[in-house]
Amino acid sequence: MLSLYVFFFLSAVTLVSAVMVLLSKKPIHSVLYLTLTFFTLAGHYIMLNAQFLAVVHIIVYAGAIMVLFLFTVMLLNLNIEGEFQKSTVMKFVAAIAGGMIFLVLIGTLKSFDVTTVGDPSMTQIGLVKNLGKTLYSQYLMPFELSSILFLSAMVGAVMLGKKDKN
Amino acid sequence: MYAIITISIVAIIVLFLGAIQKKTPLLPIIFVGLPVAFIINLLGWNQSIHYYNEMYIADNFSIAFNAVLIFTTLLVFIFAPVYYKPVKRPLEDIYALILFALIGALTMTGFGNILMLFVGIETMSLSLYILAGSKKFDPNSNEAAMKYFLTGSFASGFLLFGIALIYGACGSMNLETIKEFVVAHHNNIPAMLNIGLLLVAIGMTFKIGAAPFHFWAPDVYEGSPTLITTFMATVGKVAAIAAFFRLMSSSFSDMESSWVVTLTIFAIATILIGNLSAFYQDNVKRMFAYSGIAHAGYMLIAIIALKQQAAGVLLLYSISYTIATITAFAVLILVREETGTFSINAFKGLAKHNPTEAFAMTIAMLSLAGIPPLVGFAAKYNLFIAAIEQGHLPLVIVAIVGSMISVYYYIRPVVAMYFNLPSATSAIDSSSNYKKQIFLAAFLMIVLGLIPGVIINLI
Repeated sequence: MLSLYVFFFLSAVTLVSAVMVLLSKKPIHSVLYLTLTFFTLAGHYIMLNAQFLAVVHIIVYAGAIMVLFLFTVMLLNLNIEGEFQKSTVMKFVAAIAGGMIFLVLIGTLKSFDVTTVGDPSMTQIGLVKNLGKTLYSQYLMPFELSSILFLSAMVGAVMLGKKDKN
Repeated sequence: MYAIITISIVAIIVLFLGAIQKKTPLLPIIFVGLPVAFIINLLGWNQSIHYYNEMYIADNFSIAFNAVLIFTTLLVFIFAPVYYKPVKRPLEDIYALILFALIGALTMTGFGNILMLFVGIETMSLSLYILAGSKKFDPNSNEAAMKYFLTGSFASGFLLFGIALIYGACGSMNLETIKEFVVAHHNNIPAMLNIGLLLVAIGMTFKIGAAPFHFWAPDVYEGSPTLITTFMATVGKVAAIAAFFRLMSSSFSDMESSWVVTLTIFAIATILIGNLSAFYQDNVKRMFAYSGIAHAGYMLIAIIALKQQAAGVLLLYSISYTIATITAFAVLILVREETGTFSINAFKGLAKHNPTEAFAMTIAMLSLAGIPPLVGFAAKYNLFIAAIEQGHLPLVIVAIVGSMISVYYYIRPVVAMYFNLPSATSAIDSSSNYKKQIFLAAFLMIVLGLIPGVIINLI
């Protein structure tokens, strides 16, 4: 019962802070609300018994990426109030497009019935030991291939950052 | 599978050699490594091996497409010394990134689990985002990279959301298991699976550059360095369409009613938008971007007409599109080197100075337009036949009208080359590497046009 209340609390905070990311006028407030969203999402992961994912989520997103965001906002002095200029037509079109996909997703979730997905609190897959075993046996190939993905990202970062003419 | 490993090793060796400032052995290593990977890839023919819990399936479909992709990359590398002649540094990063993108492409053709599809797409796309911006001091290149990155990551978001919904509905990301689920729930497909498939289709349509998600293609193709554009327009497109085909044919062929209409509309829109926009282009590079969009539309027909041996037809179409596009871009690179512009006027009088290049360009253009006896005609003919047998007559009529429009803009450079007075430019000096490749491509286009059945019955 308690977990249900925690779930509703976390969901409410997640939704409100996610909306506030878009609504706040100052970029720095958006960034801080985003951090809050990440923390509450990590709370959801813990409730799904995915502790490793929760910790990694906090370290990577709230730790590394948010610091990067904050630095960029501060160093480039982006903390100016106001919003980007958007024409009325643009806003109208965006509202229709976003609203349509929102409706479609609501319709999808309404028809959702839990037949195939197991109870998350029963499986122990989110624990570090089990996750590591799965990652290195069943999901070995995507795991190794993502090393190529990261290597290409690193090569690209070095290439774009290097100082040379041509 | 072992081809992927071979190419990874080649890429890492190239990176190391670049790090110790060795310039000369880079390309020779690639020219040895890629043919070796090509042969290793072909060794698995007719064996249909499933690797690592069905993560990667080396069946004839993936082997044939991998062969096309590796061969195309090899052709792209043949132009590298011509294109990067003025650059003095080793260029190991660009070569390695092209190889990494190829690895992503090879993963995409043979995935047996949607997770692998996503990892493959991301590996290829990420390398391509960086390569698009590899001309660091050119604002157009920066713009291309930025546009490609932003729109591409948005599309990846759709794809990932779709994968999550499919996983939620089926409880698995394995293609076989999904197919079993679809067959078992044939009469009441959950809405979640439908929407998941729609979102995945949106993501894939973006990656192949088909309407209505094609807006990135012209700007990105125009802004990127021409060699990278060549790679993107051939390997990137063929890998994405092969992946899309594999996904649809191995998992969702039994729920056709929920996606055929959508894809038909996509294909019709793509063919019309691509061809009509190419009509108005004076910039040949941009024209090829729109022509690539139109061809993505034709290739979508193969997915729509899934049941009629369409894999072989798609393979033939991919080969014909790839060879012709590469040849055309090769001549375009040469003309641009000489005249400094991509405008159609740059082609004026090319036939007088450089008859070989002009001839190759003509063959490529006629093949893309689908004029017999070239391979482009055979590919389009078989594609349309397959679609008609499935009862998609309106789609085929639109495709034929699109082809007729396309003849006009494909003929324009040919007319400029043969019938216009030469502009003031002198003969273009073409290095020796280059002619061989042009001859090879022209030869392939004519020979494959005569024996299309061999390719179609291959897989």
